[in-house]
Amino acid sequence: MSDLNTQAVARYKNNFLREVEERVEEGNMVKMCMQCGVCAGSCPFGPHWQHSPQKIFMMIRAGKREELLTSDSMWMCTSCYNCIVRCPRKLPITHIIHGLANYAHRLKLVPKGQPTRDVTKLFWDNLMKVGRINELTFSLALYFKDGLVQGIKNSLAMQSAGLGLLKAGRLNPMEIFGGHKCKEQSGIHRMIAKAREIEDGRRGLLA
Amino acid sequence: MTASIATGQTILVVGGGISGMTAALEAAECGKRVILVEKTPSLGGRTAQLYRYFPKMCYPSCGMEINLKRIKGNPNVRVMTMTEVTAVSGSRGNYAVTLKVSPRYVTENCTACGECGKAVTSEVADTFNYGLSKVKAAYLPNAMAYPQRYVIDPSIAGTAEGEAAKAACKYSAVDLGMKEDTVQLNVGTVVWATGWRPYDANKIQPYGYDRFANVITSVEFERLCDPHGPTGGKILRPGDGKEAKNIAFIQCAGSRDENHLPHCSRICCMASLKQTQYVREAYGEGENAGKSTIYYIDIRAIDRFEDFYQMVQKDPTVSFVKSKVAKIVENKENGNPILHGVDTEGYHRYDTEHDLVVLAVGMEPEVTGVKLPDDIILDSSNFIEGSKDGGMFGAGAASSPLDVNRAVQSATAASLKAIQVIHKTASTEAA
Amino acid sequence: MADNKFAAYICSGCGIGDTLDIAGLEKIATREGKMALVKSHPFLCNAEGVQLIKDDIEKEAVTHICVAACSRRAKTEAFNFPTVSMSRANLREGVLWVVAEGAEHDEVRQEMAEDYIRMGCAEVKKMSLPQGNAKRDQTQNKTILVVGGGMSGMTAALASAEAGYEVALVEKTAALGGFAGKLWKRVPFSSPYADPQATGVAEMAAKISANGRIKVHLNTTVAETGGAPGRFKVKLAQESGVVNDMTVGAIIQASGFTPYDMAKLPELGAGQANVVDQAGLEAMACAANGGAIKRADGKEVKSVVFVQCAGQRDETGTHLAYCSGHCCATSIKQAMYFKDANPEVDTVVVYDDLRVPGMGEDFYRSAQKKGVVFTKGKASKVTGGDSCKVEFTDLILDEPTSVDADLVVLATGQVANAGVNLDAWTEVNTAAEGGNEEAKQKRSEMKTISVLNLDYRQGPDVPQFKYGFADSHFICFPYETRRTGIYAAGPMRRPMDMLQATEDATGAAMKAIQAVENAAQGRAAHPRAGDLSYPIVRLEGCTQCKRCTVECPFGAIDEDEKRFPVFNEERCRRCGTCMGACPVRVISFENYSCDTVGMQVKAVNVPDEDEEKPRILILACENDAYPALDMAGVQRLTYSAYVRAIPVRCLGSVNTIWITDALNQGFDGVMMMGCKKGDDYQCHFVKGSEMAYYRLSKIGDTLTQLGLEPERVVTEEVAITDNARVAKLINDYAAQLNDLGLSPMKGFG
Repeated sequence: MSDLNTQAVARYKNNFLREVEERVEEGNMVKMCMQCGVCAGSCPFGPHWQHSPQKIFMMIRAGKREELLTSDSMWMCTSCYNCIVRCPRKLPITHIIHGLANYAHRLKLVPKGQPTRDVTKLFWDNLMKVGRINELTFSLALYFKDGLVQGIKNSLAMQSAGLGLLKAGRLNPMEIFGGHKCKEQSGIHRMIAKAREIEDGRRGLLA
Repeated sequence: MTASIATGQTILVVGGGISGMTAALEAAECGKRVILVEKTPSLGGRTAQLYRYFPKMCYPSCGMEINLKRIKGNPNVRVMTMTEVTAVSGSRGNYAVTLKVSPRYVTENCTACGECGKAVTSEVADTFNYGLSKVKAAYLPNAMAYPQRYVIDPSIAGTAEGEAAKAACKYSAVDLGMKEDTVQLNVGTVVWATGWRPYDANKIQPYGYDRFANVITSVEFERLCDPHGPTGGKILRPGDGKEAKNIAFIQCAGSRDENHLPHCSRICCMASLKQTQYVREAYGEGENAGKSTIYYIDIRAIDRFEDFYQMVQKDPTVSFVKSKVAKIVENKENGNPILHGVDTEGYHRYDTEHDLVVLAVGMEPEVTGVKLPDDIILDSSNFIEGSKDGGMFGAGAASSPLDVNRAVQSATAASLKAIQVIHKTASTEAA
Repeated sequence: MADNKFAAYICSGCGIGDTLDIAGLEKIATREGKMALVKSHPFLCNAEGVQLIKDDIEKEAVTHICVAACSRRAKTEAFNFPTVSMSRANLREGVLWVVAEGAEHDEVRQEMAEDYIRMGCAEVKKMSLPQGNAKRDQTQNKTILVVGGGMSGMTAALASAEAGYEVALVEKTAALGGFAGKLWKRVPFSSPYADPQATGVAEMAAKISANGRIKVHLNTTVAETGGAPGRFKVKLAQESGVVNDMTVGAIIQASGFTPYDMAKLPELGAGQANVVDQAGLEAMACAANGGAIKRADGKEVKSVVFVQCAGQRDETGTHLAYCSGHCCATSIKQAMYFKDANPEVDTVVVYDDLRVPGMGEDFYRSAQKKGVVFTKGKASKVTGGDSCKVEFTDLILDEPTSVDADLVVLATGQVANAGVNLDAWTEVNTAAEGGNEEAKQKRSEMKTISVLNLDYRQGPDVPQFKYGFADSHFICFPYETRRTGIYAAGPMRRPMDMLQATEDATGAAMKAIQAVENAAQGRAAHPRAGDLSYPIVRLEGCTQCKRCTVECPFGAIDEDEKRFPVFNEERCRRCGTCMGACPVRVISFENYSCDTVGMQVKAVNVPDEDEEKPRILILACENDAYPALDMAGVQRLTYSAYVRAIPVRCLGSVNTIWITDALNQGFDGVMMMGCKKGDDYQCHFVKGSEMAYYRLSKIGDTLTQLGLEPERVVTEEVAITDNARVAKLINDYAAQLNDLGLSPMKGFG
């Protein structure tokens, strides 16, 4: 449990809906849900979720905070936008789902080893390093995230794809040594830091 | 251009459905002069196209007969069919109205003997049956049509078929030279009883009305179940003419949906509950029983309609799923629609195959997209609230999504509001 | 008065002349129909044909005409001769279009047409000339009495006055406003449907007192109502005991509703602290006057739960079975009271189906925007006290749960203030009239809740439809109460919200105005609108059997001290149920009587036994069964040429003499076709068809006396859409009679 989480629990007591409204991206739209279920039915990953979008909204109203934030449901979203297109209340469901995932991540409530979260984090970290994504180091980091042996197995499995990319000139082996970068890296870092500060301030997430 | 005698003491009622007929008759039976204009060739509007009413399961044509009798017997009402309002100017108590009268190509001489219909061979879509069947291009709009007079479809007016119809008429009632006419009227007040239309189901992409033959609308289902309809009352699905026994009703098809109609159309829950009883009556209970499934968000069976809802809930041939259906796909093998979604009461995913899907389509004001006088006040869904000068009124389903009973109530109220305008105009003139 | 002169006009158009022997028909009209003038025309409904008739009326002084052409339902504009009596012989829809084609049917077809000519001539001969209503008192009263000064009553009063009518507005309390007057705000009536609105009650009350046409009677009740439309005699009793007599033309009853007694809901916390009903919450909101809403103990409410359908939609029979329609929107409005004053207040609505039809959906969305939480669930238990608890099943998460709150509001329903239930009354009254003292006592007790105190034979209030509401049963005709000139408005008619109540009241005012105008002209109200005839009774033949007074569906007939019927003509709807009920046949109408129908029956030429041509008499309700027969013709369905159909105003008007006459005359069978009876009756005169069925259930004895099989008389419920069915019914019955054999009565008639 993070400090942020403790602070949030103390601040919102049992009013999870208000917490979501204030702290989650587009969370203020959750209250507009009328429980028709079209989002749940429209989700291509539907059968694999523990909690569908509609149920997530109902859980928010019912104050099922821990159950929701520690679940991996929000991490199943593939951003297909079916739910948004069909929602009769025009709720930005996809965005809210991602917002909830992000919020759970910030509160350090995501279950260990949640693969989507891990991939996302790797991607972000890779991107932030030099301001551009480095396909090679990102791929390798992804393959080796579960240890050396698994990493070699993963790399061998992806061998032909890698060679193909290499031949097509889409993968430069030299990238492993840092690769191409943004010009003003520190500027990017400052910009992101500032954006986060503003966003966190707005959402009351400054620890 | 034809001039017509009407004055500031005349009430113009636009729309000859049950609301317009009611508004016209209530005023006329108080001794007021009324002009009732209807854009189609006969009175009755959408209620005439319903098979039965909820919750009594009685027949709309029964009330229609009484209303037609009232109209036939009342010299205060002048009915103009195939007539539309094209412009209104002036103000409360003194409006100048322009009407466009389309040619029927059949005069008052018509005795409805039917010889012209026998003489022509070409057919046109039968709008009374929402296009589910065809009708001869010289036709009586329906068995109860008033005026009881044939119509010649414009498509054959200038053709040999038209001439054949003319030759067949012994009463010189066919006039193929008839032209569109414009009529100017002065009236004191206008009641807009322009009604509703079913929301265009093609726009509800996930339900595939445009792609799947066995997905139809609730208004079409009314025609299918009506013994006077295209199938003689048999529930035969359009895809292959097979009997449909396992039928899904999808509520809020267009309604309560900000992508389509933001309002609740009020009638659809009761209409679907009613339609389950058509299925029940068609197949009975027991082995051969049909099956109806209602997919809904809320069942809005308000006031004493609750009785009907409770009755249907107890019907073993009907089941309820609280779910807005996410999408429909077609089983290519048998043409059956397969419904996908989640039963929200406890989260049960389903992919259920039915013989036929009936979309409970919402009510859209018929005037949506039509240029109305600037003075008219519309609400956010294009229903008519009235006019700024207080001299024009909405009535029935033109004013709000209403069931027949409430539409008649609304039309009766609108009729009095019109009389108030007439009364005030008269008192001012007298003063 | 000039002598009656009879003429028949036979149309040979629409193929009638191609198939039927017109000269033969003319001969029948002249020789048997005894028509002074008989003419035929190839196109009678065109201008020339109509002129032919008009000329005869003007130049030949023709007073009675029989038009033998199409159905009486067709070409009504052409065949419109208001100064003469007219019958219509239905040769087109009734013969030509329904008898099978082909020369082999020529004989029976011609016989059928000839009979319709005979019948048409016989009918018109028994009709009197249109009298108008010269005897009407031209000083008929046109004042509208509105009973009830709530939103519905105030709206009806203003609506009537603004149309130029005098209004008496009676309110039993000391102020106008009714239930609406106790509200903090109301739901919105027009776009945008976003926020609660001021009730406008004070403004309306001011408008009413400023309106010179409206006289307000506060602290006043209606002690007695007698008379009829255009001349209701009303006693208005003031609280002080002063009674004023007044005459009014029509009455609008807007006596409102009472909230369902929440004391009956102990499981939902009734009687416990901080559990209130919606009316209780309104009082709290009025006290807060826009500020924070406080509980009885002075504590500011920080959380509130609304429990929908409290004591409603109950299937156990304990509470209200129906939905009151307004409560979802009312709870939404009340939740907004809290949110608008302080967005921090937690407001939860526990609902099963959220019922906000129409533009109410906008209001629902607006509440969600304001942060009102809606939870689909069924409340099982409410505990009051300092911290209230609502236990419910969350229907979405499918689990039992609970929510705590400072205050719980129960959305109880509307109970109509419709006065005395006449079914219960009739039972008690019959016993009381029989001298039962206990029943007399009970009757007085029952009368204390009467709103109108009608002195009608059939009871002191308007009949109730279901659940105590005075609604109309008709979908197309929502204002048709069974007491002519008395219209119900607002939530005593049907559960409704305030917007609907104002519309309803305006509509009721329209009907009341129409009633006074009709009464002044002597015209019938719906469904025989415009009918100028009145029932005529030959009292000297009356046996005081009371059947007419009991059976009249509209309570139009009272009894005098000697138990003779007193016809209150303006209450009459001209259905003829009294005529059908009368065993001694002393009741008739100028254009519809035992004779006009009886003579048609007698005019039919019943062939001798050896001709083996049966005859079937059909008595068909003119509103539904007869149009169905007509439309069978329009669709060219065929049925037996042995039938002779006579339209009747209502099956209730069928006098059994017609049936016995027909059987005596040698008819082989009689089919009665009327509207559906029972709970979902479709009879336009409410009880007419039911009465007919009841009477006919007793005709078996008569048949036995005549030595006839019971199958000789059948009754069928026929709807207007039964075109195909009606043809089949006839053909099946013809086949059945064929098996049964010809009537043994032939040749004795």
